[in-house]
Amino acid sequence: MVLNPYFQQGATTEQNLVQDLINEQLKMYGVEVYYIPRTYITSKTVIKEVIESKFENAIPLEAYVDTYDGYEGQGVLMSKFGVQGLHDLGLIISKDRFENYITPLIKNIPNIKLATRPKEGDLIWFPLGDRLFEIKFVEHEKPFYQLQKNYVYELRCELFRYEDEVVDTGIDTVDDNVQEYGYIETLQLIGSASTATASIIGVHDGGVRSIYISDRGHNYSNVPRVAISSAPSSGVTAVGFATMISFIVDCNGEKTSKVQTVDLANPGSGYTVAPSIAFHGGGGVGAAATSGIADGVIGIVSITAGGSGYATIPTISIENNPTGINTAVAIAYLNTVGIVTQIGIRDAGVGYTVAPSVTISSPNMGNVGDYIFNETVVGSSSSTTARVKSWDATTNQLEVSIANGTFTDGEIITGSESGATHQYRKVVVEFAKDGFAENTSIENAADSIIDFSQSNPFGMP
Amino acid sequence: MFEYFYHEIMRRTIIGFGSLFNNIKIEHTNETDTTVSTLKVPLAYGPTQKFLARLEQQPDLNKSVQISLPRMSFEMTGLNYDPSRKSTTTQTFLSPVKADKKKIAKTYLPVPYNLDFELSVFTKLNDDMLQVVEQILPYFQPAYTMTVDLVSTIGEKRDIPIILTSITTSDDYEGDFSTRRALVYTIRFTAKTYFFGPVQTDTTKDIIKKVTVGYVAGGRTPAPDREMSYSVVPRATRAYGDTPVTTLAEDVDATETIITVADASGITKDTYIYVDTEEIYVESIQNNDLTVRRGEDGSTAAIHVLGTGVKNITAADNELIEFGDNFGFDGF
Repeated sequence: MVLNPYFQQGATTEQNLVQDLINEQLKMYGVEVYYIPRTYITSKTVIKEVIESKFENAIPLEAYVDTYDGYEGQGVLMSKFGVQGLHDLGLIISKDRFENYITPLIKNIPNIKLATRPKEGDLIWFPLGDRLFEIKFVEHEKPFYQLQKNYVYELRCELFRYEDEVVDTGIDTVDDNVQEYGYIETLQLIGSASTATASIIGVHDGGVRSIYISDRGHNYSNVPRVAISSAPSSGVTAVGFATMISFIVDCNGEKTSKVQTVDLANPGSGYTVAPSIAFHGGGGVGAAATSGIADGVIGIVSITAGGSGYATIPTISIENNPTGINTAVAIAYLNTVGIVTQIGIRDAGVGYTVAPSVTISSPNMGNVGDYIFNETVVGSSSSTTARVKSWDATTNQLEVSIANGTFTDGEIITGSESGATHQYRKVVVEFAKDGFAENTSIENAADSIIDFSQSNPFGMP
Repeated sequence: MFEYFYHEIMRRTIIGFGSLFNNIKIEHTNETDTTVSTLKVPLAYGPTQKFLARLEQQPDLNKSVQISLPRMSFEMTGLNYDPSRKSTTTQTFLSPVKADKKKIAKTYLPVPYNLDFELSVFTKLNDDMLQVVEQILPYFQPAYTMTVDLVSTIGEKRDIPIILTSITTSDDYEGDFSTRRALVYTIRFTAKTYFFGPVQTDTTKDIIKKVTVGYVAGGRTPAPDREMSYSVVPRATRAYGDTPVTTLAEDVDATETIITVADASGITKDTYIYVDTEEIYVESIQNNDLTVRRGEDGSTAAIHVLGTGVKNITAADNELIEFGDNFGFDGF
């Protein structure tokens, strides 16, 4: 014993008294913050980093703000990467309160790494200012061993740098701090939908039954015009239109646009020999086709109602066909907002005496419910998941983030908590809510001045 | 200095440069290599008005996080004259005016300049940074050439090589815990662009519509008599918007040389007719049968269907030939 035994060097009772006084002071003069521990989901070795983190628990705790005359740090700065808030915050929390209150609550959470002390990387939600701070250093020896013990932790915090971490504590005032940050896409979903209807006007003899492509041609930059031989004077000349295909690779290894099909807008009538088909314009060469004529072909398919809410091309059924005839086949064409705008006859049939009826398949009618903030949504066919940032029931636009892939056209997106289901049509805005990103503006401006006549090797966003 | 002109050359080069990097993605995978998150990297031109940045990026004052990462920013850092690409200062070139091809524009050869660019990448994780950089570097060997429409009035497209000159990596992870880790890579590029002077669209020069060549026999005399003179004027090889004079009365394949039309009365022999996009020379006419030469003046002999309109190519069409059009000659 080298110290004077007649003096007490920090009795446990004295230490406890000091700790109690500190706890009481913090409860009186502190601020109620939330302590949000990080769960480590995926870490990389070698270049050691935590790739995937989640913040799913928030525990209220009293903390004393070290500098009450404002945040420390450099404040709001303009940089080449946009506006940054370089605010720092010093908070003092009770060691005893952490160990006896927070630790028991978080120690059994999987992937928590360490529960015995506040740890760097965890978040603090600071209510004055509604901000998320990340603990960058925990000072545990200040003040220095009063009565041979330390009673507080000093947390040196900086504003959180957000990427794609999941913040889902269940406390809205905490979770909404990252509602407008990160890479957010706006998806156009389908709200109400209605079925398109159409009718067939008449049947004709000597009409074009079908047009058969004998050579797709190549190098078309626009859809070529389809010319069909005139019908004799008593008849009606058929009208056709081509559609293109661009993913077939030529023998030279290049992909160019080619003619995919020719559908009939009007099969015509009165032909006695099959008309010739020629392709003109479109910038390409080589497309060729032949035609076949028949008696009893269907007439024009007239759209009586275009419907709405189609995410994928509906099927067209031609019904009330007499037995023993070759039935007609037709294909629907959609515009960009999901309305049937044209019906092309691929095969006008043979042997009709009366016009059959047409039924167009219905769009998905099960578009119901409202998505809720921070729930995960999943696509029915791609199994892509994402987190909801917001949902606008008027425009049927869903903002999502942290998607693990891309949604496919026409799949149903289901909310995990809300149970809302809507059909997906397309991405309408990338970088929604991001005041910094100019990607789309740059791409739009570049479209008119950059000549990527082959293709943009960097992709077109 | 002398007149107002502005081709937005630098703006176009900046947009062109930026468009190369606006679709870079990052994926995060878990231990089983399943993708858990994909995000596109925001890109913006760095320099901007401070008030605008504050309004757009911090509209409600309380920015609840410091910044969202990753981010990329680029800016033009300088421009230097490039003597290695110097061209003759007095030489001009003529080109059609894009909006009105009957007009000719005269422009002096451009001045070559190198624009220096800096692309900065700021990420939260090293893993993100490596993904971004690896998506950029393979395309620059060390140059990537981009075709930019630098002068829109004349549609002057130039190949602009963008050369990657250097990369600076910065990862401030050392030091006390009060300083932040900043993971920033800076990639420097040089874009070899051109500055064009004013485009003179009111030039008096016109398309040459007649060429005459005179041959002189004998020595040099003060006033030689031309022995022979050849003169040619351009002849239209297509009908510029004429209405059809008749229609085809049969389907015509690509090799047929006797074509039947519905009514040959509006067609004269030894003239050209125009069907779809094919120029056809009429050698003789018998009733409604035309004996023809197909695919004249480089047009392609194609299939034409019954009922297709037949147009005459007339002298009026010769006047409508535009700059850049193909044309034939009327003969000697």
